[in-house]
Amino acid sequence: MKAIPNNPWLELAARWFLALTFLYASYSKILNPGQFAKIIYGYGLFPGCIINLMAITIPWLEFVAALSLMAGIYPRSGALLINVMLVLYMIVLSINLIRGYQFDCGCFSPKSHNSSTSWLLIRDVFYLILGIFILRFKNFRKWCLCGFGRLSELIA
Amino acid sequence: MEFMKKTEYLSGNRLFRETTIFIILAVTLAFIYNAISSKGIAFFGEWDKDIGVVNPRSKDTLVDHDLEIGSVQTAKRIFDTGNAVFVDVRSEDQYQDGHIKGAVMMPVNEFDRLIDAFQNQYPPETLLITYCSGRQCQDSHLAAQFFFENGYWNVSVFIDGFFAWESEGYPVERDDESNSE
Repeated sequence: MKAIPNNPWLELAARWFLALTFLYASYSKILNPGQFAKIIYGYGLFPGCIINLMAITIPWLEFVAALSLMAGIYPRSGALLINVMLVLYMIVLSINLIRGYQFDCGCFSPKSHNSSTSWLLIRDVFYLILGIFILRFKNFRKWCLCGFGRLSELIA
Repeated sequence: MEFMKKTEYLSGNRLFRETTIFIILAVTLAFIYNAISSKGIAFFGEWDKDIGVVNPRSKDTLVDHDLEIGSVQTAKRIFDTGNAVFVDVRSEDQYQDGHIKGAVMMPVNEFDRLIDAFQNQYPPETLLITYCSGRQCQDSHLAAQFFFENGYWNVSVFIDGFFAWESEGYPVERDDESNSE
């Protein structure tokens, strides 16, 4: 029996879980960038000149990264992108947690309810662990269209 | 581990290159979609509260700065004339916690239910002043557009909202008291 960290099925489950999570997270934000921009403004951390650009691009970064994990198209790069975003989210959440700032995270929907910042941080740590696992996975990956999963690449 | 030796996937350069491609793809898709979407937003929003109600300048924005009353003092002068009806568009709970004296409760998500009774009481020429919480809130603009659509033509938006009014010590009412000034 393979050790858990090298189990391809576990990697597939983690990859699809993270992919579905980020697909869901990006969906509403893509459909309503204006609402998402207001939430970014509500964080009280970003200059006005970049708020709209963030609201336009971040959901699509999430979407593309999630698709790469789902389809197995260079999943390490998708995981890296998601990990970087998660680290940035956690930094932003931590800053607002430290200064006791109340806000709507807008994590999954521009109209989502407020969650406690501590809970959001714990959740993001869990996602980050999955992301690091996917990034560092060193065995053959199941059901990858390209990038570290196809048999042809294994023997190349 | 033998597998890893046969591939170059741990190569930092390759990882960086693939990630860069993803970023370029995502940003390209983002700007294309934003350009064609009816809910797209401008590249730069209006996030300076000194200008007026903050908003992302989306294509379907309801914010019209020409309707805005830009200071609490101006709103108070209009209030003192007694010719205007102030309309509180916040939630019922917020209204009950405190509102501008004499303001009509009209929560933004209950317009359709309340508009008939409102129209029976106030003719179209009535000067309406809508307000919500402050300059981060667009509901007062949403309400103004709703009133225009329902035949009212003399509508302004008090953008500083209830809390600025209250902090100035101007007349407010709460549910458990008829008047506190």
